[in-house]
Amino acid sequence: MVKLKIDRKDIAKMAEELKTKGYSYLVKITAVDYEKTLEVIYIFRDMRGNKEETLEVELDPADAWVPTLIGEFGAADWYEREMSEMFGIEIKGRNAERLLLEKWNGKAAPLRKNFTWNAPYETSD
Amino acid sequence: MEETKPYSKEQFLNAEKEMSKLVLESMKKYETKPNVIFAKLEEVTKALSKGLVEWSRVRSLWPLQFGLSCCAMELMDFGSARIDAERRGYLFFRATPRQADVMVVAGWVTKSMVPEIKRLYEQMLSPKYVIAYGECATCGGPWWESYNIIKGIDQVLPVDVYVVGCPPKPENLYAGFIKLQKKISGEIED
Amino acid sequence: MTTRINIGPVHPSTHGVLRLVAEIDGDTVVNLEPHIGFLHRGVEKLVETRMYMQSPPYMEKLDYIAPMSYDEAYVATVEKAMGVEVKERAMWVRTVLLELQRIASHLLWLGTMANDVGQFFTVFMWCFKDRDLVLRLLQEASGARMFYVNMRIGGLIRDLPPGFEDRAREVLDYLDKQVKTYADFLERNPIFMERMKGVGVMSKEMAVDLGVTGPVLRGSGISYDVRKDNPYYVYEKLNFQTQVRSEGDCFARYRVRMLELRESIRLVRDALAKMPAGDAIGMPVKLILPNAKNRIVSVSRELPRGECMMYMVADPQKPYRLAIRSPTFINLAALRHISRGCRTADIFAILGSLDVVMGDCDR
Repeated sequence: MVKLKIDRKDIAKMAEELKTKGYSYLVKITAVDYEKTLEVIYIFRDMRGNKEETLEVELDPADAWVPTLIGEFGAADWYEREMSEMFGIEIKGRNAERLLLEKWNGKAAPLRKNFTWNAPYETSD
Repeated sequence: MEETKPYSKEQFLNAEKEMSKLVLESMKKYETKPNVIFAKLEEVTKALSKGLVEWSRVRSLWPLQFGLSCCAMELMDFGSARIDAERRGYLFFRATPRQADVMVVAGWVTKSMVPEIKRLYEQMLSPKYVIAYGECATCGGPWWESYNIIKGIDQVLPVDVYVVGCPPKPENLYAGFIKLQKKISGEIED
Repeated sequence: MTTRINIGPVHPSTHGVLRLVAEIDGDTVVNLEPHIGFLHRGVEKLVETRMYMQSPPYMEKLDYIAPMSYDEAYVATVEKAMGVEVKERAMWVRTVLLELQRIASHLLWLGTMANDVGQFFTVFMWCFKDRDLVLRLLQEASGARMFYVNMRIGGLIRDLPPGFEDRAREVLDYLDKQVKTYADFLERNPIFMERMKGVGVMSKEMAVDLGVTGPVLRGSGISYDVRKDNPYYVYEKLNFQTQVRSEGDCFARYRVRMLELRESIRLVRDALAKMPAGDAIGMPVKLILPNAKNRIVSVSRELPRGECMMYMVADPQKPYRLAIRSPTFINLAALRHISRGCRTADIFAILGSLDVVMGDCDR
């Protein structure tokens, strides 16, 4: 697994480069919450030679946004929606509505480490 | 989600009684003078048919197809060829709640799903019964500590029979239905 | 002027709780949006609170039609994090059990899909009867009908019982004939053929762009199978072919899965013949605490529905973060794009051919 640490303004450019090199299969967009930083992970794979490449982007939790990849990869649609609602990361360039927690009001992000299990939230009826 | 108390059976039965009282009062001006022979006949057939109706209600419970998750796979097995559910009267599963008697809740219930379940239960015509099938419908099951699950369907609906297991074998559901039949006909106390 | 129809969370096609909001102009579908999340329980968060070997029951209930495949993917991730090698015979036994699980899963798919398309419960009853035979074999090997939890670190909980191979061979011979009968029965039916051919076409470029995997991808002309391209266990020593069809419609996906059924039957026979003798029992769970050395691991497996990838950030005793790439999640996102312009009744044929399990989609 080849891993690259990049800055968030280079994501769209790197994704396009990888697509022309043959890494046309976007496997997963996910994030990990280390307490001081958030790390967003993009995994690409080349189907023919079975090579894999991972892009890692570090974010500050107070200023968490990433640009969208929906122009190049159609698979990024639902991945970005799910990641943004689970971690509270904003996606700039599209309106990422909630997918799995549709009826929750409020901004609770369950997969963060500071999510209290009995946090007050409401579901709309 | 606002905190509502679970519906109870008394509330439903009282609503029906009041409705029938209103209907009878409005029909009083259309009454004709009763004929004595026909009145006696009416009493006799009513007594017989009441017993007949209760007898047949116990023996033909139509379940509502409400499989949410893994227990639904065992529910489908319950209706298929090995353990034939139709031979005891649980005719094949209805997709519409208006023609069903029993609601078999199979699977875990999330907070998004609660208003849908309530709506389905209200659409069923009384007398209606609920069987909680599996651990998740009984008490929350393995998802006890999740943030999106309610701990058992009896927080929302009145349950008659609990069938435990994860998933319970279809033979257990068979035994659960037999217990429900005995409960309806009065052989077992609540 | 379009009408909006809500195909609500509870509907008679037995695919679980999925809500579709369809915009319809006359009889053609203009837009279709799936709303999911009715079965979301937060498995990825729950797993962070448990030690490693306390989580297999959670993972099995994700894809509840083929539970052993998720269990095995999780245990393989833990083994990679701990640096433990699987024993030789255990690899063969795991392969046999996984392929039997694939046969059971495809049989259930066939029953419910034929149910939606018009064979009202006939093929359903036959397939469930056959699936019961396979589940009985799996019950002999592991002890339970549906949720097995028989994978341990480095092997299994116990070896195959004596006489398993003869009983398995009987069941497989019977299944071989039955699968041919079902294919004949369905393909001679003009209603079935008309409802499946030419419906829900997914072109090659669209399939790669949307990131679908599994039989959905192989029905559109691209030959990508994790068992061949990134082989694990003993798939290199067994000879089988990936089945590919190039039309991209519902019939092509149906055909790919039927051929995969036959390939799996052949695989199990082959593996049972070549299995070496030895010891297949893994670490006992209650005596030895897990201790993970590698920090970040990822494992790919071929589930009956597609490719599943587990990406784990491992603490010594429990996972710090487990990200699950489930195949159904991204196969369902493609529904919106391939159902433009089809008729209302075709929605369920397409949904059946995509093989959706909502427990896997919502996690």
